[in-house]
Order: sequence, then C-alpha cells, then structure tokens
Amino acid sequence: MVFAILQRLAQMLFVLFGISALVFLIFFATPGSDPAARIAGRNAAQETVEAIRKDFGFDRPLPVQYAIMMEKLFVSRDLTSFVNRGLEVVPQVMRAAPITLSLVFGAAVLWVVGSIAVGVLAAMTRDTIIDKGLMILALIGVSMPVFWLGELLNLVSQSRFHDTFLFSWVPGLGYKPFFDGPWLWFKTLVIPWFTLAALYIGIYGRVLRANLVETYQEDYIRTARAKGLSPSRVMIRHALRMSLIPFVTMFGMDFGVLVGGAALLTEVVFGLNGVGRLTYQAMLNLDLPMILATVMYASFFVVVTNALVDILYVVIDPRVRGN
Amino acid sequence: MSDAAAPRQMTETGGDAAAIPARPSQSPWRRAWRILRRDKAAIGAFVVLVLIVAACLAAPIYANDLARTDPFRSTLSGSIVIDGQTRKIMEASTTGLGLGTTPIGPTWHWQYMLGADNQGRDVAARLLYGGRNSLLIATAATLICLVLAAAIGTIAGFFGGWVDMVLSRILEVLWAFPVYLLAISLSIVLLTTEFWIGPFRIGSGSLILPIVIIGIIYVPYIARPVRGRVLSLRHSEFVLAAKGLGIPRWRILLKDILPNVTTTLIVYIPIMMALNIVTESALSFLSIGVQPPDASWGTIIQDGQGLLYTRPMVALAPGIAIVLTVLALNVLGDSVRDAVDPRTKLR
Amino acid sequence: MSRTLHRLKITTTLFAAGLFAQAALAGGAQAQDRKALLEEHSGGTMILSAVSAAGTIDPQVNYTAEFWQIFQMTYDGLVKFKQASRSEGFEIVPDLAEAIPEPEDGGKTYVFKLRKGIKFADGSDVTPEDVVASFQRIFKIHGPTSGSFYNNIVGADKCLADAETCTLEGGVVADDAAGTITFHLMQPDSEFFDKIAVPHASILPAKTEAKDSGTSYIPGTGAYVIESYDPNDKMVLKRNPHFKEWSVAAQPQGFPDEIVYRFGMKEESAINAIQNGQIDWMFDPPPADRLNELGTQYADQVHVNPLAAFWYAPMNTNLAPFDNLKVRQAVNFAIDRNALVNIYGGPVLAQPTCQILPPDFPGHEDSCLYTKDPGTAWSAPDMEKAKQLVEESGTAGQKVTVVAEDTATSRAVGTYLQSVLSELGYDATMQAISPNIQFTYIQNTDNKVQISVSQWFMDYPQASNFLNVLLSCASFTPGSDSSINIAGYCNKDLDKRMAEAMQTAVTDPEAANKMWAKLDKAFMEQAPVAPLFTPKNVDFVSKRVGNFIFSNQFRWVIDQSWVQ
Repeated sequence: MVFAILQRLAQMLFVLFGISALVFLIFFATPGSDPAARIAGRNAAQETVEAIRKDFGFDRPLPVQYAIMMEKLFVSRDLTSFVNRGLEVVPQVMRAAPITLSLVFGAAVLWVVGSIAVGVLAAMTRDTIIDKGLMILALIGVSMPVFWLGELLNLVSQSRFHDTFLFSWVPGLGYKPFFDGPWLWFKTLVIPWFTLAALYIGIYGRVLRANLVETYQEDYIRTARAKGLSPSRVMIRHALRMSLIPFVTMFGMDFGVLVGGAALLTEVVFGLNGVGRLTYQAMLNLDLPMILATVMYASFFVVVTNALVDILYVVIDPRVRGN
Repeated sequence: MSDAAAPRQMTETGGDAAAIPARPSQSPWRRAWRILRRDKAAIGAFVVLVLIVAACLAAPIYANDLARTDPFRSTLSGSIVIDGQTRKIMEASTTGLGLGTTPIGPTWHWQYMLGADNQGRDVAARLLYGGRNSLLIATAATLICLVLAAAIGTIAGFFGGWVDMVLSRILEVLWAFPVYLLAISLSIVLLTTEFWIGPFRIGSGSLILPIVIIGIIYVPYIARPVRGRVLSLRHSEFVLAAKGLGIPRWRILLKDILPNVTTTLIVYIPIMMALNIVTESALSFLSIGVQPPDASWGTIIQDGQGLLYTRPMVALAPGIAIVLTVLALNVLGDSVRDAVDPRTKLR
Repeated sequence: MSRTLHRLKITTTLFAAGLFAQAALAGGAQAQDRKALLEEHSGGTMILSAVSAAGTIDPQVNYTAEFWQIFQMTYDGLVKFKQASRSEGFEIVPDLAEAIPEPEDGGKTYVFKLRKGIKFADGSDVTPEDVVASFQRIFKIHGPTSGSFYNNIVGADKCLADAETCTLEGGVVADDAAGTITFHLMQPDSEFFDKIAVPHASILPAKTEAKDSGTSYIPGTGAYVIESYDPNDKMVLKRNPHFKEWSVAAQPQGFPDEIVYRFGMKEESAINAIQNGQIDWMFDPPPADRLNELGTQYADQVHVNPLAAFWYAPMNTNLAPFDNLKVRQAVNFAIDRNALVNIYGGPVLAQPTCQILPPDFPGHEDSCLYTKDPGTAWSAPDMEKAKQLVEESGTAGQKVTVVAEDTATSRAVGTYLQSVLSELGYDATMQAISPNIQFTYIQNTDNKVQISVSQWFMDYPQASNFLNVLLSCASFTPGSDSSINIAGYCNKDLDKRMAEAMQTAVTDPEAANKMWAKLDKAFMEQAPVAPLFTPKNVDFVSKRVGNFIFSNQFRWVIDQSWVQ
C-alpha cells in the first residue's frame, strides 16, 4: 500500500515535471517570445536591450534558465513576472484562487442539486413527456457554448433589461470579495454560476438518469420493489445511492479541473480575475513566469483529483483491483 | 465551453470490461442500423444536420445569386436599396456629438438578411461560409483525434510493458494540461510560426492549424478508454484462447482487437464532433482559431461581441447555428450509442 | 508613452468650468478664485478604471501613457510639461528648478538652480545630490530611454557600456553650496528640455535602490503618493503629507483626497459603471458599439480631444512586394481612409491623413500625395491608379500577410487592409497577435512581417519624435526586437537632412519646422508607411466629475478635476 502511494506520488511529480518542461519549451519555440525588448521598452537602444537580456539571464543555456526559474517558483517563491516587472507571481495565483473557488464552488452546488433533481425526476417519469422535455433541456444545456451563453446573459442583464425590475439588482461585472459584503458577492456571482453550471447540469443529469434506469434493472432493486417498497423510496434509498458512485468520481475530476483554471471562458466573459483568466492573460502576454505558476497550479489540481479518483475506483470497484 | 467533462462522460457510460461482446460479427452492425432507422429522434437530428450541411455547401449560391455580396470584402462605404429606400451599410451617428458608426441591422430581405458586421459584410452569407469551416474543422479534427487515439490506445494496451508505460505517461501529461490552456499555448506558437510538412506550407492563415490543435487536445480523453478496453480484451477469454492456439499477435490485433475498438470509436464520432464544434468556436472566440479573412461560427461571434449592444444579431445567429448543430449531433450520438451498445441504452 | 492608448475630444458643456479653472491655474490674479475652488471642491474619492494595469510604477522605467498620466501628480523633474489645457500643455515650465536656464557654451551647458524647501514624500529634502543620483539611476536600471534620450549627456557612453559604475562624471555636476546642478551635453540638443520633462527624468531620493522598483512605491515630490499598488486589483493614491504647492503650473494642489485606480474591468462594464456613477473615468477608449449611446444620451459627460498620434501601416521595404516603391504607393492610393475613420468611430473621432506628422504639430503642413486629386487634404481613394501601379510592378498574386494587434479596432483595421490588398490582386491574409507581443514582433526582421498595423503616440512635441524616431537609419536594427523603424527604411540622404533640421532647431526652431515639413513630404514620396488616420481621444467621465482639463501632452489632468 505504501509502495503504491509512493509510486503514485512519483508519477505525479513526473507529470508535473513534464508539463513544466513542455511549457518552457513551447515558450522558447515561440517567435517574439524573447522578453528582453519588451522589458526594455519602446525604442530602446540596442545596448539597453542587451544589458536587460544579461540582467535577466536570458543569455544562459535553457536548462540553467529552467532550473533557476523552478528554484524561484518552488523554493524561494519570489519569481517575478516578465510583463509587470517586480510583480511576484506566487501571491498573484494565491489571490486569484479564491475568485475561481467562489465561482466553481457555487456552480458546483448548483449543478449537483440541479442535476440530481433533473436525473431523478426524469428517471422516475421515464418515457413520459416530462422525461423527454428534461432530457432535451439537458441536451440544450450541453450544446450551448459557455462563452456565448455568458455573453447573452450579459446582454440581457447588463444592458437590455438592466433597467427593469428583473435585472436591476445585477451589479456591474467583476468580482467582489466575500468579506466586503456576502450579499454583493452573491449577487455578482449568481449569473456566472448559472452560466457555468448549465453545461454540467446537462451532462450530469443525463448520466445520472441513465445510471438510475440501469440500476433499476438490477436484481436487488427488483427485490426491493417486489418487497413492496414505494417507488420513490426505492429510488432514493437504493438506486440513487448506487448511481451516485460514478457521479462522484466525475464530479471530483471536473471540480479539480475547474478549480485549476478550466473555467477561463466564464471568467473572461464575466470579468472575474480568477486563475483561468490569469493563465489566459499570461499566455497572451507570453509572461513565462506567470504561465509556469498558473499551469503548475492547474496541473496540480488535475493530477491530485486524478489520483484521488483512481484510488476511489480501487476502493469501490473490485474489477479494477484484479488488473 | 470551460469543460473537459464531455469526453469523460463518454468514458463513464461507454464500454468497459463487462460489456464486451464475446466476438464481433456482422450482425451487431446490421442490428444497429435497423434500430437507428426506427429511431425518430435520430432521423430528426440527421435531417437537421443534412439541412445545415446543405445550406453551408450552398454558401456561394446564396452569396452570389441571392444576397449578391462578397462576404469577405469590407464594404464600409456604400448603400443598398431596400423597399425603395436607400440605406447606408455603415451609418455614422448624426445625433448628439455624432460619435460612432453602426452597421445596418437585419433587413429580412435577401440582401443583408441578418444585417452587417463592423466591416459592412453580410452576416447571413458569412454565417454559411463560416459553417463550412466550422463543420470542416470539427470533422477533420474528429478523424485525427480518433485515429491518433486509437493508435496510441491500442498500442499501449496491446503491447503493455514499457511501451504502455511511456505512452501512458505522455497521455497523463497531456491530460493534466487543461484542454483550453493546451490549445491556447499551441495556437500562440503555431500562429506566429510558419512550418512545412513536405510540400505543404502551414502558415498563420491555414485551417490546418485549428484542425491539428483541436485534434490533438482531446486525444488523451479517447486514448485512455481505448487502452482500457484493449487491456481488458487482452485478458479476455477468446484472446487468451487465440494465443493458446498459437495465432500470431498481429492477427489477433487485426481480427479481434481492432473491430472491437472500432465499435467504441464509432460511438464517439457524433459526440466528438459536437465537442469539436464548440471547441473551435471557443478558440476562434479567443481569436486563436480561424484567422481572417476566413470565417467560422466562432469568429462571427467574436465580431458580434463588439456589436452586442447595437446589433446583437451578429452574435446571436452563429450561436444559434452552433446550438442547433451540436444539439443534433448529441441526439444522434445518443441514438448511435444506444444502437451500437445496447447495454447503455438511455431511452 | 504606450501606443496602446487611443482616442479623445470636442469641448462640451464642462468647457465653461474648465476655462474658468484654467484661467485660475494660469496665475496670480486669480489665485483667490483658485483658493475658493479648492476650498469648495476638495475632498472625496475619485475612482478610475482600466482594463489592465501598466506594469511597474518605477517612474524611470515605466513607459506607458496610462501611468505617465499618474506620474504627473506623483513625481517631478527639474522641468515639466505644464498642467494645463490643450496645446498649453505642450509648454515646458520650471518645476523643481527655479527657472528654465539659458543655454551656455553654445547650447552644450545648462545650469539649473534647485528650489528650496521641497521635500520627498518620506520627509527628506530634495538636494542637488538627489538630482545627480536620479540621472545615474536612469542608466543603472537600464531605463528604456537611457540610450535614446539621455545618451547625449557627457559620460553617458560610459554608463551605457557599464551601468554599475555609472557616475556621469563631468555630465551632471552638483554644487551643494550654490544649490545648482550643471548639465554638460556632448552636442547641442534642441530637445533637451523635452527629454528631461518626461517622467523618466523624475527626481527620486538619492538612496533609492538601483533596480526596477516593480510594484513598490518610490517616494516622490508630487501632490499625491501611491499608497498601494496591485496590478491585478488596484492602485490607491493619497495626498502627500509633505507636499506644499510651489508651482501651480507644474505641480498644482489636487482636488480629491483619494484616487483609486481599479484594474481588470472590461470596457463594456466600465461604461455601465460610469453611467451608473459607480466609477468616475475609464482609461481605455469606449468600445465602438457604445459610442452612439454616449454621444447622444451622455453628451455632457463626454470629452473629445485631439491626440498627437497616428495610425499607420508600416510596409517592410526590404521584403517583396513592398520592396517595390510602386506597390507601396499603390497601397497608399487604394486605402479608403474614410472607411477606416468609420471603423474607428466616425469623422468626429478620427481624421483621414496621408502624412506622418499629425495636425497642429510642430512641422506639420497640410499635404496629401495619395488621393484622387493630390493636394492638401485627402478626398477619396484612387483605385484605378493603384491597380495600374500594381500592374506595373508585376507583383500581383503574391502572398501578403497583414499583422494586426488582437484588439477590436486593430483587428478591424487589419481586416480592412487585407480586403484592400485582395482587391489589388494579392493573395492577402490577416493575422492578429496579442497586443503585448505584436509591437516587438513586427519590429524584428527575423519574423519577416510584410505589412502591419501600428500606432505612434508622441513622447514630446517635436517633429523628430515622429520622423527621426520612426524612419531614421539609426532606428533600424535587423534581427532585433527593438527596431522601431518597422518599415526598415533607410535613406542616407533624408537621414542627413534630418540631422540638419535637428541642428537648425537649436537656434531657429521656425526654420527647422519648415525643413521638417519638407522631410515629411519627402518621406511620403517614398511611402515606407501608409498613414491611415489621426485618432482623437474620448474621455467619458461620471456626472460628478467637474473641471475636466485635457492637456495635449499627458491628456486628462486627473487631480485638477473634482468629484464633489
């Protein structure tokens, strides 16, 4: 067991190393990535650009630069940005994290509650109009590009109907810290939450329904029903419980990916300065230190949730253990 | 879409070890086809898709004969006649301080049916041309993705050992890299670089770039379940039996493993296409997908983003096109999966 | 200042108030009025907004319009551009120095006398030693303009070669007893005062560390101090407790008690926030989509002002097809500049141009070679002529890529150029690159950029800041990311004439400006660039902002407006 965990840890480290090296190489393969001239400023003299290049160590071999950067990122933790000179990247990521967390957490609550409601209701009213209607709605949720949905909601809530009672409560775009006023925090995030959750309610609702329907065919459920338990009791007590296992593993992975920054489109559309947007900006600016920090952060969550899900599988599914 | 969930959804419901038929034969395909033909939802979705594809293919006819416009040429001055009224394509504001110019809105006539974008180009015509690119990219990327994933997954699963070890680690690295971030970093490099594959120059404007990028980023999501499937097949009774009989490995691979993998892949095709259309639009929306003068639904949404307040139709129309297409593909995907793999029947 | 800045103004309702306060600023007679205004309107918190922060707040490093505007109220140089309306803002006034010194030694020596009693925000006195240290620091931190603005000071060459041991010995000499600083130049320089009036020559405490201060504040002498700065959140400016007004023209007392500059809000949302009175001003130009609404419903909160700038398309004169003069001229003839003006927001916000120097700029003389009927102004494109020139050049059918910035306006301009090039018979595509990278990308000859979309905003009002900077041989360095002569155009003859003009300017600015006007025309005959339009700046302020003053040099004088 200890060996398995150690092995898993080694694998995680390898993946993180792989990603950082990949990012590093991609960066240096990009034409125009040399930050010296950008740091030096507009119309800088050649001497100045050269001096900056030396100062920042851009003239050293790549492995050395890589090692120095990793040391600054993880050991001394004082890595500074190439674009916003003097800006330390680690605190930036730490500052963006709660914003993303607020967004993803709220959306997660919405999509878990929403998808369970959709899934259970659809499964219980199987093959009726309600079931079909719900499944079509869920599919529409899956089919809408999140940025487009976000833009539309912005159009409606910020412009077209902002003056009507429906949306006059919607504050301007951008994040408001929780501790500055929980109510305002809530109001700013409601629409982003819905936008982000729409897709997942669709996916999870459909998967849950399918699993419920399948579980319903299993012998022990049939037994329970034969024993005369009420359908809703069977559904909630037995079927739902079983069906939630794949649901939980899916949730773990998606949550990890989103917290790591995959919610970037929602963040961009709603002007939330979260990890995703930070990463996106850093990439557009070719700000290598910031890219490394954010990508490492994102990958960390993915790798960890992956590992957790794998472990969960081993615990719950004996078939995998066999392999 | 800020998600990496869609492909994983398929790995959850799509095949795992328990569902493997004992031995592939012709009949499942025929049976699947029979089921599909009777599936009203599938037929409806198929018809919608055919109509969309036909409309997009007819783009030149629409642009040349009906709208009489060149959707790739900026027409910032000039005017058209609608119902005997002359209307400027770009109308400069005349009230107040006279700030800003607004493109013509939907006319609901052949000319500028859905209005113009900020270059004075016919949005309806661009929508059809854009659809061509969106569909082309999605289809080609799906093929690339499935072929790559099948190859990697099968090799890793079938040969095992260090081959599996190396491939799995590479996949893991790619997997841990959030899809959009991977796509963005690839695009940024490729957009500013020009390279040659044999005699083909792949430069900034090429459609091959988004195809390759989108094709690559989802490989791990398909390759992992494929590998899992091959792995379990390898340990299945009939393969073990075949091995025991001394049948060569490549024969087992070709005759027993590949057909099985193909079943899995076919189930993925419509859903992957749906996902790729959304991905393409997201990349183009972030202006790292299709490059001007070419259009795609994503680039039109991006154009429309700047006109959301005055001419929301520019962003609305391509969005609706995406939703319709993706919806139809998803419905079709469900039906195909139900038909091919009855165990996971959803309806 | 950064090119990322765009447009601004027609004076409207607030003009009256502006005029009044401006007159007040102008001098002694109205000192009483100014005092009354200060009493009445001082206080409150002004909230500004920008889509993104502009990097370091080290005044000797930062080179962006966004923060140069902020440095006006936080730092001082020996001299400074006047904090006043419109072209009055081009005037240079004494700041930490008592007066503008007369040139000595044929323009090679200047002696500044330091004002007494001025303190830095940390309470220490400003001394001649601080001035010397500040100028040394420009080189020690590899300031962006160290090699272009300050390389003419005696001893600068050594500093550029080895920054760490920089002393500027014999170049900047302090006399503590007399309270003077003497500058020795290698060559007479007609632009010396302009160069030391920009924030890079801010005077900082001598003990300031010789490294880019990044996000931490260096004590300055201005009316405000930067209390905190986080580029992903906000900058907070408070009144400087050690500030006592010494010159209304250079560093006037400000009205608001506190100024908060927020970063990260997109333009659309910023507009909404200003309309709702949640913030007072946005730095970025309003999105084209909202202009009509602003111009009609909020006309009295909008200020449109001219900018000394132009949007242009540099054509790489060393790459096909633009190595052919006929092709470059054809492009100039073919561009419908009115169409571009429409893209930018209509005739009120931009003005077609086919020359390099902007209107009302020193050396500008109306001229347009590339229009239907060449003369003084652009009227219409001449597509026939353009097509004929392309045919003569025999380059039709070649592949051309337009490289634009990935911003709404630049992308639209690039798309339009691509459309024009297609019409001229080229196989044209457009490529939009992140704004942060595009500027260095198009400069480097290694990237083989054929034609691009760029803008140039002046640093100071001298013709050489356009012509000599953008088109001299010295500005062209192949293979370097810092090669501002994007067209890669080097004409030895014109270079010589520019040197003569700069020489003439030392003694006779009028004659020099005449020479620049001829040079402007001479360059346009060779057409290394296609000038597109001169943008204007749009400032949209909240209802409560009063006394809006726009200086042509550093734009809105923030702290001279009040919020209550």
